[in-house]
Amino acid sequence: MLETLVQAVINGLLIGGIYALVSIGVTLIFGVVKIVNFAQGEFVMIGMYISFFLATQFGVDPLVSLVVSMPVLFIAGVLIQHFLIRRVLGPNDMPQIFLTFALSLLLLNLSLMFFTANYRTVHTSYSDEALHLGGLYIPVAKLIAFAVAMALSGLLWVFLHTTDLGKAMRAASQNRDVAMLMGINPNRVFAVAFGAALALAGAAGSLLMPFYSAYPFVGQVFVLMAFVAVVLGTLGNVIGALIASLMMGVAESLGIQFVGADSGLIVVFAMLLLTLAFKPSGLGARRGR
Amino acid sequence: MTGDNELSAINNAAPARGAQKKLSRRKFLVRTGGVLAAGAFGAVPLRGWAADPINIGALYPTTGSMAQIGVGCVAAAKLAIEMVNEAGGIKSLGGAKLNLVVSDVQSDTTVTRTETDRLITGNKLSAIHGCYASALTLIASEVAERAKVPLITGSSSDQLNKGRTYTFTPFARASQFAKAQLQMAKLVSDQAKVAVIFENTAFGTSTSNGLKELAPGEGVEIVMFEPYSAGFTDASPLINKVKASGANTLFSISYLNDLILIVRTVKQVGLNVAINGGSGGFVMPDFYKNVGKAAEGLQGVAHWNHDVSEEAQKVNVEFKKRTGEFAFEYAGGLVAQTFMLADALERAASADPKKVREALSTLDVSSGYAAMAPGGKVKFGPDGKNVYGRPVGVQWQNTDLVSVFPKEDARAPLMKT
Repeated sequence: MLETLVQAVINGLLIGGIYALVSIGVTLIFGVVKIVNFAQGEFVMIGMYISFFLATQFGVDPLVSLVVSMPVLFIAGVLIQHFLIRRVLGPNDMPQIFLTFALSLLLLNLSLMFFTANYRTVHTSYSDEALHLGGLYIPVAKLIAFAVAMALSGLLWVFLHTTDLGKAMRAASQNRDVAMLMGINPNRVFAVAFGAALALAGAAGSLLMPFYSAYPFVGQVFVLMAFVAVVLGTLGNVIGALIASLMMGVAESLGIQFVGADSGLIVVFAMLLLTLAFKPSGLGARRGR
Repeated sequence: MTGDNELSAINNAAPARGAQKKLSRRKFLVRTGGVLAAGAFGAVPLRGWAADPINIGALYPTTGSMAQIGVGCVAAAKLAIEMVNEAGGIKSLGGAKLNLVVSDVQSDTTVTRTETDRLITGNKLSAIHGCYASALTLIASEVAERAKVPLITGSSSDQLNKGRTYTFTPFARASQFAKAQLQMAKLVSDQAKVAVIFENTAFGTSTSNGLKELAPGEGVEIVMFEPYSAGFTDASPLINKVKASGANTLFSISYLNDLILIVRTVKQVGLNVAINGGSGGFVMPDFYKNVGKAAEGLQGVAHWNHDVSEEAQKVNVEFKKRTGEFAFEYAGGLVAQTFMLADALERAASADPKKVREALSTLDVSSGYAAMAPGGKVKFGPDGKNVYGRPVGVQWQNTDLVSVFPKEDARAPLMKT
């Protein structure tokens, strides 16, 4: 029983690390640019396809292809911010919502057209391997993914807290107008935030590739969890999103283990509703209301 | 007479979609033009003139999450139509050609309802086939029932045989799949302890309920019985549960992506269980491509397999030529379904959907492409169920899906892994 419980927690933490990469991206964009990026999941999908094609065409290990998928998506993010998002920023939210939603649909259908709906899997030497500790097992691919996800989250935190640009981003997320008055260039900050968020999505894609199949709809599976984590961890709060993602991974895993295998999402959403009822601004908020 | 022909040419033009259709329309117009010209010169050679094509509706999810399979189904449907037409079409209707009207149901139940409606009201259909996924077929068959258009399907949900007079299911039902799976489990181990995990929509629930009801009678113990929501991110918690249950056989009733994760996770955990992947995604060529060697020895059940008969092997060769993959269960079954429709049309000598339904209800074939099913015979009972329908047990052996159960259909012995 105890072994099963520990195993369930390990499983939850490992997948929670992937949720974290996606949700940190969403929350970063929301915090700094103040828009909800509905297309975040599609960028995870693009990251997966980049890794898939590098692996099948050039034999690059999916984990190594991180060094390609992250910069490519960073640049994509900067360009999207510059040419699309920048133009709809304003007092009205609706154009922004439609823009990112349209972007999501566009990317989804483009990938259906170019990649077809087939499932694509990469087999690496460690894909089906696991570390066995007593009765417990830890899948190697997921462990690596988790470690890299935590390292990237840590790097982002260091970046936000020690560099001028990072501090400017945090300032913009706390109070955009005052930050602008202090001489922070909003376009530059927004572009970096958007780029960084997409780079994280790309990283999530590359890290998923050794153990998950790529297909056009794959992003939607993860983005749903990411949105819950973002709300749960307080909108715009990076550490909140990280902790909430891990919590959700564990809650989902425990739910499947002890309540029923179709109750993973029930547990997650019940957690979301309870949090919203008792702490409406999320677990990461400094004050309750 | 010629006026009528022109009218039907226009009617046919309206729903025209896709290159194949356009081609047949052009041919049709050329022929109509020929008749008109002949009429102008006084001679009207009615005999040499092709009959109105017979519209067969095809409802498949060619976009959305099931797109890949849907596209394969459409390829099979086209192949089948060509085979029937090349063999001379429907002779009792003057060699009338079958004409496929494809509609995309987008892997979505709401779209399925509106598309089925639209397809029936917008075209003069003699029959419909579709939709691969039971959840979609249930909706389409409801609409077809009300519109009084016969629908033939390879979907396996037993609900399709309840309260319907226009739905025909020539292949094994979900509950029969269950029995075959249980009997296969006993071949592997005398004391089969089975864990059943199933996706919680119509397909998974009906299949698993069949398993649960039949297990005691077959002398198989079910030690775990668990629904899950399809499209999960991680199979580990579920497999963790299977491990805790102490099962030696795992029945997974899943769509492809979930099953890939489940099999890979079982391997990671190092769990020693015989896996029966059921049908659905498991019997697709893609399964082996995605799972690789870990798929070897995995068992499943299908309502059709490409080695069940000589005709099936011929269809398989042609399908492989066109798509690069072996004819999967639903695709091959669909070719058989089209020949069943052709047989019914031939006997009905009418394109009227009600008469086609009558003819389908008295269908009785035991040879040729229409009888290309495990058991080799098709005859519908009052509930639209093929009274001879039975599933075939299959196993992945040396990268191919081989029929291994029951003995009469087996092409290779079951490997005990």
